[in-house]
Amino acid sequence: MPSSQQNYDMIIIGAGCSGPNVARQLCQQGMKVLMLEAGENLNRHTYPTKEIDANSRLYWGGGIELNTNAALGILRPKVVGGGTIVNQALVDRFDDLALDSWRETSGVSFFNQKEMAPWYDEVEESLTIQEIPEKYRNGNAQIFAQGFKACNHELAPLKRAQKDCRFEEGNDCIECLAGCRIDSKQSTPLTAIKAAQATGNFTLVSNFEVETVQSKSGVVYVDGRNNLGQVFRYRAQALTLAAGAIGNSKILLRSGFKEHLPALGENFYCHPQSMVLGLYEQEINAHKGPLQSFKSNDATFRANSFKLENVFAPPVAISMLVPGLGKAHADVMKKITHMACIEVAIRDTQPGRITINKKGRHFIHKTLNEQDQNTQDKGLRTIHKMFEATGAKKIINGDFAIGLHLMGGLNMGIDPRRSVVGPDFRVHGYSNIYSADSSIFPNAPGINPSLTIMALSRKAAHEMTRSLS
Amino acid sequence: MEPSTDTPIPAKKSSQAEVAMPATDFQPAPIPKVSRYLSSTALRGLNRLGDVVCPGDNKDLPLFSTTDFAFHADRMLSYMYAHDRDGLVMLLTLLAWTPKWKIRALLWLSERHQKVPDYLGGIILRTLYVGLRGMIFTLYYSKLEDRNNQGEKIHKVIKWDATINPRPEDLEGASMYLGTQSGNQRTQSASLENPSAPQIQEVFSKAREANASLRRMSVAERLHYIAPLKEIILRRQEEILDVIQRETKKSRSDALMGEIFAVLDHLQFLLGEAQKTLKDQKIKTPLALMGKSSQVFYEPMGVVLVISPWNYPFYQAIVPITTSFVTGNATIYKPSEFTPLRGLVESLLQEAGWGSDWAQVVYGEGETGKQLIDARPNKIFFTGSVATGKKIMAQAAQDLIPVELELGGKDPMIVFEDANLDRAVAGALWGAMTNTGQSCTSVERLYLQENIYETFKEKLVAKALALTQGVDQDGNTDMGLMTTPAQIALIARHLEDALAKGATLLCGKQWDRQSAAIPPLILENVTSEMLVYSEESFGPILPLFKFRDEMEAIMEANNSPYGLSASVWSADKVRAVRVARAIVTGNVSINNVMLTEGNHHLPFGGTKNSGIGRYKGVFGLQNFSNIKSVLIDGNSSKIEANWYPFTREKYQLFSKMTAGLFSTSPKGLVSFAVNGLKLEGLSGKLGKQGRK
Repeated sequence: MPSSQQNYDMIIIGAGCSGPNVARQLCQQGMKVLMLEAGENLNRHTYPTKEIDANSRLYWGGGIELNTNAALGILRPKVVGGGTIVNQALVDRFDDLALDSWRETSGVSFFNQKEMAPWYDEVEESLTIQEIPEKYRNGNAQIFAQGFKACNHELAPLKRAQKDCRFEEGNDCIECLAGCRIDSKQSTPLTAIKAAQATGNFTLVSNFEVETVQSKSGVVYVDGRNNLGQVFRYRAQALTLAAGAIGNSKILLRSGFKEHLPALGENFYCHPQSMVLGLYEQEINAHKGPLQSFKSNDATFRANSFKLENVFAPPVAISMLVPGLGKAHADVMKKITHMACIEVAIRDTQPGRITINKKGRHFIHKTLNEQDQNTQDKGLRTIHKMFEATGAKKIINGDFAIGLHLMGGLNMGIDPRRSVVGPDFRVHGYSNIYSADSSIFPNAPGINPSLTIMALSRKAAHEMTRSLS
Repeated sequence: MEPSTDTPIPAKKSSQAEVAMPATDFQPAPIPKVSRYLSSTALRGLNRLGDVVCPGDNKDLPLFSTTDFAFHADRMLSYMYAHDRDGLVMLLTLLAWTPKWKIRALLWLSERHQKVPDYLGGIILRTLYVGLRGMIFTLYYSKLEDRNNQGEKIHKVIKWDATINPRPEDLEGASMYLGTQSGNQRTQSASLENPSAPQIQEVFSKAREANASLRRMSVAERLHYIAPLKEIILRRQEEILDVIQRETKKSRSDALMGEIFAVLDHLQFLLGEAQKTLKDQKIKTPLALMGKSSQVFYEPMGVVLVISPWNYPFYQAIVPITTSFVTGNATIYKPSEFTPLRGLVESLLQEAGWGSDWAQVVYGEGETGKQLIDARPNKIFFTGSVATGKKIMAQAAQDLIPVELELGGKDPMIVFEDANLDRAVAGALWGAMTNTGQSCTSVERLYLQENIYETFKEKLVAKALALTQGVDQDGNTDMGLMTTPAQIALIARHLEDALAKGATLLCGKQWDRQSAAIPPLILENVTSEMLVYSEESFGPILPLFKFRDEMEAIMEANNSPYGLSASVWSADKVRAVRVARAIVTGNVSINNVMLTEGNHHLPFGGTKNSGIGRYKGVFGLQNFSNIKSVLIDGNSSKIEANWYPFTREKYQLFSKMTAGLFSTSPKGLVSFAVNGLKLEGLSGKLGKQGRK
């Protein structure tokens, strides 16, 4: 059993997209790193294969958490590898629009293409990134392409962090939403964690939920409990918070940091996404082959703060999106192979906030203001037009919106009154508490965040080795 | 398994009671028909809700409550936040009593959540809409295991056929992970099967290393690994029961009570008592050794080899392993080849944080056991048959390895006329049939005082006929099946032999001598020539005997090569205790049956052919220890009187001192003191100057 006496150079809370990328760099510099993860440590043999288990075991709250007005379902991964286990591995660099707006909001100067490029380069080099070959694009992708063409919008092929999906052997990527069973998806356990482990300086403790942290005379103490309820304390020279927007906010709120960091838990964004289903006469088989092939690449969409994605979901998720009950609902479900699906994700402008109550339970306050609502409506209208143009018999708006790019709460900035983390990735006022994950995003970029999280994590690790060694 | 086994088989309808149940046709993924979170009422509520949300289509899609899906709810509930789960469970309980039209109305209303402002309950309606529909749809569309494959059928109906086709290299190493029915717990298992001689050497060398580190841990530290084990077993109870049932074919209740409860009870005992029992003990130092102090240390013996039988495979794994571990030994555990529970013990220990070498599992048959003994463990703990026990002891004798043998029994139950009859009848039936008679301490001879014989017999047979039998999943069945073909054959032989020699079979006549579902076989007119009189049957076969008086009962009870346990039933406690003393046996329950094992503070073990040694309780912990005596003296210049040189003068003084010390008069004590002092002086002088 891990001993609380052991001293580490760095404790990293969270083994998702960011933590492992920090760990790899530090371990390679010879630092002793302990990584604490609340979720399970799974692998290709043990990823769940049923949707019920995928939802309960890979996400917080048994699958879905609702915001305070129950209009938004938050999907928050809880597993070693985090989002990189359950996502579609889309890797996009941020554009000028996103970085400029970050620089403006935060006052942090390195948010620009030139200074970010080397970090993006490094990350891309460490992953295998592919486009889906044309011949494997499925019916859903074809509808997407036709719709874009019919409505004169521009699209682009997606870049995915994948190695060898072997579509010719009949693999359907939708299955890998619960973890890739053929180790093609470049999840962090296959990339950064593996590299960290190879150094011999890395310890991973899974099934351990951190509750509070504190920093006293140059030492950080991390308290929490394992899945059996046993309480442990770990200590180290420094700490990296990599538990995501909600996780990091919750830990620091419970630890009393809000007192001197008024922005803590504020500025929460999540790219609210709404899925729309189009029912067609012909079979679409959106579940076969590569799940996603295209993204929208339309300047007017970007200017209007939304993007469209070529997605689909497994039966339980689809059944929750299809309204109604009983036989009518079942009749729609029977047409699941005739469904095409397009999703709109908006670049939300209305910041939400994370709070906790006296018992330490967290609440996610997140609503759409009029502007966000309009953006969403614009996106939905565009999707409807595309479905109509491609001959859909029926169009069904998904029953509720979901948030799965969870960002902010520890937003980066130069002003300690309005931000939580400084440009050196340290929590304001603390020389040894860092964060580099999506919680430090100053606002919603409107672009899939994982590549940028990895790039920022590498940059942060670079800062850490400089100041800690 | 056929669905028919799910329905209890009433032994009463004897003509049709026999259902062919070959030993092997147990489905690998049984569905636990109980929930950790949902009462049967809440389960009913869940099914009602399910029927409204997913009523099926009378054709291809099933009505929710006709599937087993509700029983999978724990796969979701156990991962939810407790506050969400509590609310949901309460709601489902309410729904159990809500008419379906009201449930429909509630859902209709919740569907219109958009139209209800938040302050008028819109939020609650939305939460209900997402939560209730989500729960049912998750169970309905997750392709869950169901006895009629409904989960698979639903996916077929909606034509959902997403797959991943791993190549052989993707599957490499997959066998290292033990899958369970819910897929909830998997683990790496590196245990050996039929190991070669060098592999066994490796196992022992790892065990010796493990012992070195366990030795350094305090008992309190070791108990840190017992507490989580208890929690894990509680949490994984249903999964463990599935595995036990799959291999033993017990009834679910037998498995719950005999294995899970008993194991948890034992772990609780260790948590409460081990530290007290194993701490260094101050021991009295007699007058002659004045100025010194004495202690006993309870230390590990080293590497303990545990060889277990198939009748309680989980209990017989966890109890000896944890007892051995708490005393600081490394354990090598060989389960029965009939009930290996492959990977289960490893996965539980691993989850509880145990080092992989603290207890190693080695799978194999008798030959493997023999090879393990050849590698010279520091102790052998064997539970099983007399024949194997003798072989093990013979082999162990070559290297003087201490053995503890827990062997068979032919346990008598003696019922006096003043006993509470109904209670004794119920006790006799359970004592004889529990675990389908496959317990070493089950009742194998029932002695009834002559004037209650007929009434007792009548009541007993009537109750036996009412027992239900099968490998059930919901705990609603009394008896399970037989575990091994060999034991079925042995019961058939005992029965045929008794019938051929004139015994009468009172119930169970329908048994075909082959099926594993052996019903209660109650015999009378059994004589000493019959196998069933003297040999251990280890099955649900029970001979009845009449006795006149106490003397005869004691003589009959003692007329056996075995002496494991017994029970005495009488209103007269003085008589019952008298009889309990007179029976040559290891354990006696008075007005109860097989209950000494129910108290983990009591030791357990047999006399005669039933074995050697005691385990469990304080004695058990000590038996796994090297009890080290330590005498502590000061670092003085003193030369002891009993050291060289010996002289005539010293001899005389020693003589006088001895007489003084062991005399009974007060004068003696004075003489002891005087001569003792003189002796001390002389010894000091002689020690320095040497013999002159």
